[in-house]
Amino acid sequence: MKNRIKELRTKLNITQDELAKSVEARRETIVFLEQGKYNPSLNLAHKVAKKLKVKIDDLFIFEE
Amino acid sequence: MLNNSNIISKIKKMTIKKYNTFRMIIVIALAIIFSQSIIYQNYFLAIGILIISSLLVFTLRKSVKEIMADERDYEQGGKAAMLAMQIYCYAGVIAMFIFKSQASLNPSYDIIATTLAFSICIFMLLYSFIYQVKSKGKFWDKWVIYTFLVLLFFLVLGILGILKI
Repeated sequence: MKNRIKELRTKLNITQDELAKSVEARRETIVFLEQGKYNPSLNLAHKVAKKLKVKIDDLFIFEE
Repeated sequence: MLNNSNIISKIKKMTIKKYNTFRMIIVIALAIIFSQSIIYQNYFLAIGILIISSLLVFTLRKSVKEIMADERDYEQGGKAAMLAMQIYCYAGVIAMFIFKSQASLNPSYDIIATTLAFSICIFMLLYSFIYQVKSKGKFWDKWVIYTFLVLLFFLVLGILGILKI
């Protein structure tokens, strides 16, 4: 699953570490998320979307 | 030289890096003291040092304010535990058959084979029991109780089987 986390994070000038701390995750998880190597839980996806000030639908690109 | 307030402030500012360093030091010290106390047959010291080090690691872990594990770690941990269990069971079954087939050469091989067989059974039942508890979210469920009773039955059977040999 592709996502726009890196794009939105850099736009808001937030570091991976800051994002990780605010969503109560480890930095490595953010790295894996940005690379599209990890599908987060709905809870984590919601926290990341809230921090990046977008809706979950706008953050994650679902491919069928 | 470190005084008490310095140590307390260090513990209060505990990071994951510091925690890992402290844990490593504790593990090395524990291994040295534990092995020596076993060699000198001082079992009270061995148990004492094990309890003290466990409490120390637990206290240090509690003082870490950073996030040590998140949902991805738990997911990976679950997968790793499952794989470890499968490898242990397959390897154990193969080893059990080898020991059982060689039992005529050395009677102690039979004990090893029986211990392995029961340990694998109990291990798998324990996994099933914990899985049932986790998946149902409660202990008082009929399937959880059935699994627990089967586990208990095999535990008794295993102990009796090994004692009989």
